[in-house]
Amino acid sequence: MSDESLPAPRAGAPGPGARIGGGTLLQVGLAVLLAFLCLAPFALIVAISFGEKVQGAAWIWSVDPGNYARVFVGALWPEEFSGLYLQRLWYSVLYATLGAVLAVATAFPFTWFLTRTGRRAQTIWLVFLLSSVSVSEVFVVMGWDILLSNRSGLPMVARETGLTDWLKAVGWFDTLRGWGLANPRDLKFKTSATATVLTMTYLVWPYAVILLYPPLSRLDPALTEAARTMGARPATVIRTVVLPVLRLPLLGAVMFLFVYLLGVYVTVSVFAAPSQQTLAVSIYDAVRGATLDAPFGAAQSVVLLAVAALCLWFGQRLGGRGA
Amino acid sequence: MSQRSRIPTNRTVSRRTLLRGAAGLAGAGTAASLYPMPLLAQERRLAIGSYGGYFENSFMEHVYPAFTEATGIAVDSVTQPNSADWLVTLQQAQAAGSVPADLSLFARDTMIRASRIGGLLAPLDMSAIPAADNLDPYFVFSDGGDTLGVGAMSWFVSMVVNPDAVEVPQSWAEFWDTERFEASLGLSRLYNSMFLDIVAATFFDGAETMGSREGIVAVVEKAGEIKPNVALWYSAESQMEQAMKNLDVIGGQYYHDVAQLMAADGFPIRSIFPKEGNVQDYGSWCLSPLSEKGAEAAEFIDFSSQPETQALMSRMIGTAPLVPREATDLTQEEFDAVSGSPAIRPAYEAYLDEDTFIKETWDKMLAGA
Repeated sequence: MSDESLPAPRAGAPGPGARIGGGTLLQVGLAVLLAFLCLAPFALIVAISFGEKVQGAAWIWSVDPGNYARVFVGALWPEEFSGLYLQRLWYSVLYATLGAVLAVATAFPFTWFLTRTGRRAQTIWLVFLLSSVSVSEVFVVMGWDILLSNRSGLPMVARETGLTDWLKAVGWFDTLRGWGLANPRDLKFKTSATATVLTMTYLVWPYAVILLYPPLSRLDPALTEAARTMGARPATVIRTVVLPVLRLPLLGAVMFLFVYLLGVYVTVSVFAAPSQQTLAVSIYDAVRGATLDAPFGAAQSVVLLAVAALCLWFGQRLGGRGA
Repeated sequence: MSQRSRIPTNRTVSRRTLLRGAAGLAGAGTAASLYPMPLLAQERRLAIGSYGGYFENSFMEHVYPAFTEATGIAVDSVTQPNSADWLVTLQQAQAAGSVPADLSLFARDTMIRASRIGGLLAPLDMSAIPAADNLDPYFVFSDGGDTLGVGAMSWFVSMVVNPDAVEVPQSWAEFWDTERFEASLGLSRLYNSMFLDIVAATFFDGAETMGSREGIVAVVEKAGEIKPNVALWYSAESQMEQAMKNLDVIGGQYYHDVAQLMAADGFPIRSIFPKEGNVQDYGSWCLSPLSEKGAEAAEFIDFSSQPETQALMSRMIGTAPLVPREATDLTQEEFDAVSGSPAIRPAYEAYLDEDTFIKETWDKMLAGA
């Protein structure tokens, strides 16, 4: 900020030297605070991740890299290899990617039309979406749990409308059973990857709208109007003008939601089958579970963090190359 | 060991309060015990931990007042989320030099874990606890000559089914029948939920089989064969409660006492003792080494071990007594509501000695990895 932009009363303030001194002090203070709040807990996690588990008890401080090895090859290596935690890591990345992409893909048309409604409607929608963000994950999961439950949810609707009987009559019901989407009596949507991704998408959808709203509302109407005057269909305008212009904000939204979804715990522990659960669940089990294996939980956290950073770096490059 | 001792929402807050509609009470109880009242020097007081929610409320309402009346010792109730979490809390509190409770309630596996970590449990003065003789020696835990825990109450993890949807099984083995139970059961996802003990008792030689790695692998493999029949692998007790109520599952493993409460409220659930029996787990009173209330604690444990108190807990909290029914004034009907036979005793030592191995073998089986 240049001096010209300072308001006039600044003239009576202390000289520039004193101001810089205060500013530096503030900067140092902020840096110390940041280091304490961010780096100290992280350093602690890294330190714990080298701790050693004591069977039947808790753990002790150590410099044991075994916890990291266990993430990649399992506890019984070298006698036996286990890809258990890599599988969990894969599902972490998969769910987070699908949830983030789906949320942004569906929030985009909504936000597009939202920015083209009146001011009042926009305000009401935005306030509604902002307040829905305050609903905790636990309640969202509870809601979907009921919506998908046998007695009062979708399977009930299918049963009452005769859809279930019809599916049984034409033989498709057995196909659904084969896919794990039915038991011998009714349709069944829990537990499934579909329910997990659906709930994750729902969870971050308001964030997607809130992230896309500023760039979409700032989009110069002249761009789309010019394309339209030149004879492009609306779909072509979106594809060749709007999406390329909004490439960076869209990618940014996906990356933000991706990172957010990596740590989702309740949704996965309720809706995902144990064979499709994520590293977040595994970390919680290790740290707060009966084994009191905090070092292994910490090692998994560090690996998850590294993978998240790698994904973000990759996303950044993808965006950078396009721009 | 059990879910009960592990996940905060389990036994206590969610389900119990939902069942009894006492959510507000539970919240108030939790808040109150976080900020204990200042202690008066001349008064004899004791801070006792128990699992928060309906469980703790029942203690505050029925058990502690009876104790205060009998001994003049006032009780400050302290909320524990469960056993394992509480152990972490106590460990940190002890390092800081002040513990939140004189007496804590630990499931047996957590108690043994605490004794192995060392320095977390104080020896009890058994000469001041004569009533402990009423209990089966199994419920009095000693390590190196010191008694570190005396049983408080016990509970069963039992077979439950929806009697409207399926014929009542006579054996746990029937749950493996895919013709009848395809994608229909609810079992715990956690390795130490004692489903392995059920499998060991049903298909193998029980706890003995769990004594070797080969045995553990065989038991886990047998457990793996039930996977096509499981619709829900729950991590919190409340999930199973909802799944039974919503008819998402028609059977599985669940707490005997809660199943009884749900059935009493009209939900289609029946708790059954099949021929192999159900798993019996129990909680113990353990004293903190930083506590200066050893004498008061001994008086409380003595009170808790008396048949009258055991019967009181059975009637008011739904826990199984640690003394024979004949020693209490419980009727056969009252006794059956909280207990049954045969009782499967968990392979605690195996779970502790091989905790990483069992957990990972179990998780691999579930993950198909």
